Order: sequence, then structure tokens, then C-alpha cells
Amino acid sequence: MPATLTSLTAPTDATPVPTGETVVSVRGLTKVFKDFWNRPKARAVDNVDFDVRKGEVFGLLGPNGSGKSTTVKLLLGLLHPTKGHLEVFGHSPRHVATKARIGYLPEESYLYRYLNSRETLEFFGNLFELPRKDRHQRSEQLLEMVGLSQAHLRAVGEFSKGMQRRIGLAQALINDPDLVILDEPTSGLDPIGCREVKDLILALARRGKTVILSSHLLSDVEDVCDRVVIYYGGKIQAMGTLRELLATPDTIRITTPNLSRPTLERVLEVIRKDVAEDRVRIDTPTQNLESYFLQVVHNARRAAAETSGAMSGARVAAYLRGNAEEKPVGDKLLERLTAPAPASTPAPASAAPEPSVDEQRLAALAKPAAEAETPAPKPAPTAEQTAELEKANEKLAGLMSKPK
Amino acid sequence: MQQIFAMAWLTWKAAFRFRLFLVIAGLLLLSVIGLPLLVKDDGTARGFTQILLTYTLGIISTLLGISTLWLACGTLARDIEECQIQVVATKPIARWQIWLGKWLGIVSLNALLLAISGGAVYGMLQWRADRLPLAEQKVLRNEVLVARASVKPPDHHAEIEQQTDELLKERLEKVPLDRDSIAQVRQQIREQIKASKQIVPPGYSREWTLDLGMARFSLHDQPLFLRIKFNAAQKPASGTIDGFWQVGLPEGNTRPWFSGPLSLAPDSFHEFRIPPNLFDSQGKLTVSFLNVPENPTVLFPLEDGIEVLYREGGFGLNYIRGLGIILCWMALLAALGLAAASFLSFPVAAFFSLGLLTLVLASGTMANAVSEGTIANWNAEKGTKGWSPADIVVIPTFKAILRVISLAKDFSPVDSLSSGRSITWTELGLAFAQIVLLLSGGLAVFGMVVLTRRELATAQGTQ
Repeated sequence: MPATLTSLTAPTDATPVPTGETVVSVRGLTKVFKDFWNRPKARAVDNVDFDVRKGEVFGLLGPNGSGKSTTVKLLLGLLHPTKGHLEVFGHSPRHVATKARIGYLPEESYLYRYLNSRETLEFFGNLFELPRKDRHQRSEQLLEMVGLSQAHLRAVGEFSKGMQRRIGLAQALINDPDLVILDEPTSGLDPIGCREVKDLILALARRGKTVILSSHLLSDVEDVCDRVVIYYGGKIQAMGTLRELLATPDTIRITTPNLSRPTLERVLEVIRKDVAEDRVRIDTPTQNLESYFLQVVHNARRAAAETSGAMSGARVAAYLRGNAEEKPVGDKLLERLTAPAPASTPAPASAAPEPSVDEQRLAALAKPAAEAETPAPKPAPTAEQTAELEKANEKLAGLMSKPK
Repeated sequence: MQQIFAMAWLTWKAAFRFRLFLVIAGLLLLSVIGLPLLVKDDGTARGFTQILLTYTLGIISTLLGISTLWLACGTLARDIEECQIQVVATKPIARWQIWLGKWLGIVSLNALLLAISGGAVYGMLQWRADRLPLAEQKVLRNEVLVARASVKPPDHHAEIEQQTDELLKERLEKVPLDRDSIAQVRQQIREQIKASKQIVPPGYSREWTLDLGMARFSLHDQPLFLRIKFNAAQKPASGTIDGFWQVGLPEGNTRPWFSGPLSLAPDSFHEFRIPPNLFDSQGKLTVSFLNVPENPTVLFPLEDGIEVLYREGGFGLNYIRGLGIILCWMALLAALGLAAASFLSFPVAAFFSLGLLTLVLASGTMANAVSEGTIANWNAEKGTKGWSPADIVVIPTFKAILRVISLAKDFSPVDSLSSGRSITWTELGLAFAQIVLLLSGGLAVFGMVVLTRRELATAQGTQ
């Protein structure tokens, strides 16, 4: 396992400035849902600003009811903003011709149940005024791509949810869109399907397409997005590239393979010349989007951010619970994120640096792998596992170094 | 257009896949074929026509009307409720195109259903006609299965109003009256003048002149049909009134036609064939009636007391034009349903549209209020009317509503077809202009604007 050195005094990376054409521009966007008497009912989106540039994979991240889907629907002209300004390809979202450049997959596959998958694609192809030959060709290819070639004559209403997502994804791509808006694209898909969707998003990005991905699944966003905004209570709580968001700005991390104790001592000695001993920490990398997201939501809740959406952690109504004790909510991330904070203050997700060098840990890390006692040595990875890890590393490296 | 046709195609698919088309087509055919088998006619051409044409076309119009309204409300409202519209509206198709595509889909479906059921009626009519007695078959072919134009004598409306005003003026010069009395007196004078142009006292005769106009050139050697209706001052003991009819005037070689004594029942229509070439060179046809002295006074209503019918064309084309007007009605109902669904949920839209349809069908009450000039009680004996403060608003509103309703309701293709009257291309064109372009167009503009302005993503999917 690689060891990492972190220093709070390290300079932060310069923020990469996205270049290229602005595809989506959002300024002061606010959406207030009103009741029958026109009284404000819920503030779903509150004064949101962001831009999405050409070729970006842009993530909208947030718990249920945080305003992601409302933002997507505002971008598509399906809802009208209460305040603020929206532009997609320089036009109002309700500009009909602009929609020829957009592909949209809603959070549920709102397709016509009585059409089969081929008819579905034919129908949407007609809405894009595609010539018959192109329509047929693209339908074939898309059905092949989403793995529904064999089921092209079955009515969509007979499909499983995963199959419906696949045909929904296919219809979103029938026009070879410049901007693809995907609302929870992996919802209902099996792990292979999820992987395929993510690969597809990356492939689209490589082709210079812009992708807006709305999800509450952190792994979806983490795997494919260049930049993300994190919503809570209709407001943007954080925005930036994954690197910006995940890095601890005033520290650096040096990741190396395990070092021998003398080597490590020498390195520490050099570092201690510039940095106080209690500000240097040796650990294994643990920071990830999940922990960052946890922190953002935790902070937002502490600031009593107003939310119009679902509040996780609410107890089930007493009459429904009966006498049964409420079970633990499980380990679903978002449930954990939005659950009421426990009485004892947990360590922040992005753990603060240890006050001093952990000598025991240092000794353990410096030991050869075979001699290490804590933790117990793990079996050596198989060739397959190694290949997987390498692939993952490559992907992450590629993701982090991708030009914006 | 590709997008509009795609929406129309989608409506067809839904109608077929949900078996709506098959169910409606089955019901229509069952009614058209089953009704004449279940309800026996009286063996006359009139009875036969009533069952095989009037009832069946009535059933077709009702069934299609309800299903059209239901389908129109459902196709749009359900798309919005089940959120499919969210996927469609994010494609490069304007909302008005979505609306128009659905309307075209429904109207074209109706056209097919009407063609199927109308074709069945036509087939049944021709097939069952051969079972009638020969004499009745002849009546049927001459009086029903034709397209006949009609001519009526002048209704003297302007003349009556003018004479009424003159007489009232004279009366007021002699005896001044207050405002309420003036209205009553005017009404009485008007009725007197009108009666003088309608009644035929015992022992007297009355003459009507009908102008055949340009039709005279095509009516040489063609028989004409005199259609009459009269009321009697007292109900005759025998149930019928005797009278003599004469058609035509002695002029040159032309000899008038005399009916001889004809005994006819009051308060119903009678039709008899008159020989050809009885009109003069200007196309004027003179019809006279002599009331025998033993009879009570009889009254021929100005609106429909006397009418001359003549053959203008065949039944087939006339029938198609009649179905064309029914299709115009369906187009209006489709527009009504879609307009309601543009801003209401499915059950509410369906209820709203059916309610509106019921209101239109019951517009007689409004017409009464307008003719009486008040929604308060009317004293028919005294001819006096009450008054309500609401009249100031309600009566003009009723007038406006009736004017709009009359744009669609003034056409009566089923009645025309049942009485062998001609439905001209002009009439069909007028129906298209008034019902489809004006009324449906107005509803379409309303529906399209509402749908365009509506937020389509407020609904949560219910599928």
C-alpha cells in the first residue's frame, strides 16, 4: 500500500480555466413552485449560477429533492424560471430549433408503453426530421449499442426498468446531440449497464460532446465528470473540478510505494527542516468524493440551509412504525449523509492532519510487507486484479489530467 | 410536417394498440347492423328510412362524438400526467405541432371509423330497400334516396315588421300608451299581420308563388314534390281536413294540375308528387289551396308550411357530403377535448368537455329566454313578460352563446339525408368554414397557446 505525506503548507494548484464555447449559461436561476392560489410553496432552486462549456462532462450532484432535476427541467424549458436567466447554445431553453442539438434522458423512462423499441426510435427520429435511411441506420446501431437488438419487437411497456433505461438512453442519442442531459442515467441498470453508460459518457466527451449528468450516485459523478456542482436545499454548496473539490488545498500529498525506514527517516528529516513535526502526517490516501460530499452536506445542514425537497433522516410515521424499533438506515451513502448528526461530533470527512507523526504507523509502513503485523497482510493480488487496478489508476490519472 | 405526422401516427398507434379503434369500430358496426334487425320498421318508406338512416346515423354521431371527446382528452392529458410529453417536448417540435398532430390523428381516425360505419349504413340501406313493397320502394327512391333541393315562398318578414310599425304608429296617434303597453300592443299587431298571411278561412283560398330561379333550366320534364304542413283552428272530428290543391296557372299550352279533394291530417308533413313543367318562363310556380266551407280555419306556417322539392342529384354523393358534415362535428369535438386537456387533467377535462357538450345540446332553454327577453317567468296567456335584474347580463350572454352554437348546430345532415334533401357542396364548405376553421380553429388557438405556456414538468409520472 502506498504511503502518503501531506503538508498543510504546500501551495494549492492553480484552478484550471475551462476554455471553449459556453453551452449552458445559468445566472441567478431561481424556481419557486406555487400553489393553486399562487402562494409560494417550495423554493426548489435558489439563485444558482454556473456555466457548462463545450466538451465538458458536468455533474449535478445532490441528495433527493435538492434541485438537480428541477435545474435540468429548467434547462430543457419544461419548467419556467421564477427569476434568473438561462441560455442553452445562446438561446432560451424554449427555443425549438436549439432542441435539435440536445439529447435528454429523464429520471424515469417516460416512453410510450405501446410502442416497441424500434418504433420508439423511429418516432423520435421523426421528431428530429431525420431522413428515413438515417433513422433506420441509427435505430439499428442504437439498439445494438444498448443491447436491445433481440427485443426490438417487444413493447416498451413489457420491458424491465433496466431495459427501459437502455431504450431511453438510445432515444436520447438518436440525433447525435451536441449536448446530452442525463438525469440519473444509471438508475435501474445492472453494474454492467452502469459501466457501459459511463463508458458511453466518456466516449461522448472524447467526441467533443457536452454532457450534463444529474445524479445522487457519487460513483457515477466521480467516474466521469470533469466538473461538478453540489446542490443542497436548492442552492449550490460547492462547485469546481473534481481535483479542486477533492484536494485539501493547503496540503500536498506525496504518494510512494512503501519505503524502507531509513529512507523514510531521511525524507522526514528533510521535511522537518521546513515544517514543524506536528504538521507532518503519514497515512494512506483516504480522501474521496464521498467524504467531501458528506462534509458539504453536513456543513449545509449545520448552516440550517433551507430545503424544499426530501429531508432524509426523518422518522417513519408512528402509525406506520407501530411498536417496532426503527431499523438502522443501512449504509446507503445519501441516507448517511442526510441523517441527523450524532451527538458526538465525528471527525470531519477530510480528516484533519494528525498532530504529530505516528511513530507506530511509520514503523509499520517502513516494514517490508511480509513483516508488517498491523493490519494483517493481505494475499497478493492476482494478475487480473492487478490489471483492474492499473486500469482504474489510468482512468483516474486520465480524469485528473484531462484538459478542461 | 414530418413532426406533425409523427404525432398523428402516434395517436393511431395508441388507438390500435389499446384496441380502442377495434372496440369503437365493433360497436358502430353492431349498432348499424344490429339495430335494423332488432327494431322492425312499419313497411313504409318513411319507417324504413327512420330506422335505417335516421337512427343509425344518430347512433354513429353519438358514439363517435363521445369516443372522440374521450380520446382527445386522454391522448394529451395522459401524456402530460404520465410525463411522456416531457420527452417529446424536449425534441425540436413546437407545442402547437404536438397539439395539431394529435388533432389530425384523432380526426383521421374518425374519418376512417365514419367511412366504415357510413359504408355499412349505405350497404344496409341498399340491401334492405329491396325488401320493401314495390310502391314503397318507389317512394324511397324518389323521396329519400335522392338529393333534392327545395324552394319556399317568401317569409314576408320585412313586410310584416314594416306593416306592424305603421299600424302601431297609427294606433299611438289615436291613443297614447305607456312603455310596457306599447310592447304588448306591438306584439299583438304583429301576430295579427302574420296570421293574415298564414290562415285560410273556410270557403277561402290562398295562393303562394315560389321562385325556382336558375333551377328552372334543369327542371324541364322533371317531376316536383309539394311538401306541406298546416295547423287547424279546431281539431276535426275525422282527424283530417279536406281541401283542393292547384299547382300552376293556365298559360299558353300549360294546364294547371288539380289535386281533387285531398283529405290530410293537420300538424304533420305531407308530400305529393306534382307533374313537370308547371312553372312559367320566369321559373315562377304558383300553388293554391282551397279550404272547403265545412272545415275550420287552417294555418300554413310561414317557416315550413309550403315547400317544393325537386331532384338535384344522386343519393351517394349527397350521403358523402352528409358524412362530411358529421366529420366536421367530430373535428370540433376533438378540438374541444384537446383544448380542455391543454390545461386540465384527464378526468376533469373529460368532465368539462362532456358538460359543455350537454350545455350545447340543451341550448333550447337559452333560446327560449332570448326569445322572451327575460329569464323571469313569461305569461303566455297575457303575452306579458316578467323581469329580472340578471337579464341585463344574462340575455346578451345567451345571445352570444347561441350565436356561437348556431355556427355548428345549424347544420342537420341526418335530417337532410332522411328527407332526401340536398346537402350542397356550398353547405359542406360552409360547415367546414364555420365548424372546422372558425370554431375548431378558435379552440385550437386557445389550446395551443395554453399548452405552449404551460409548465409540462410539474406532474410526477403515474405510469
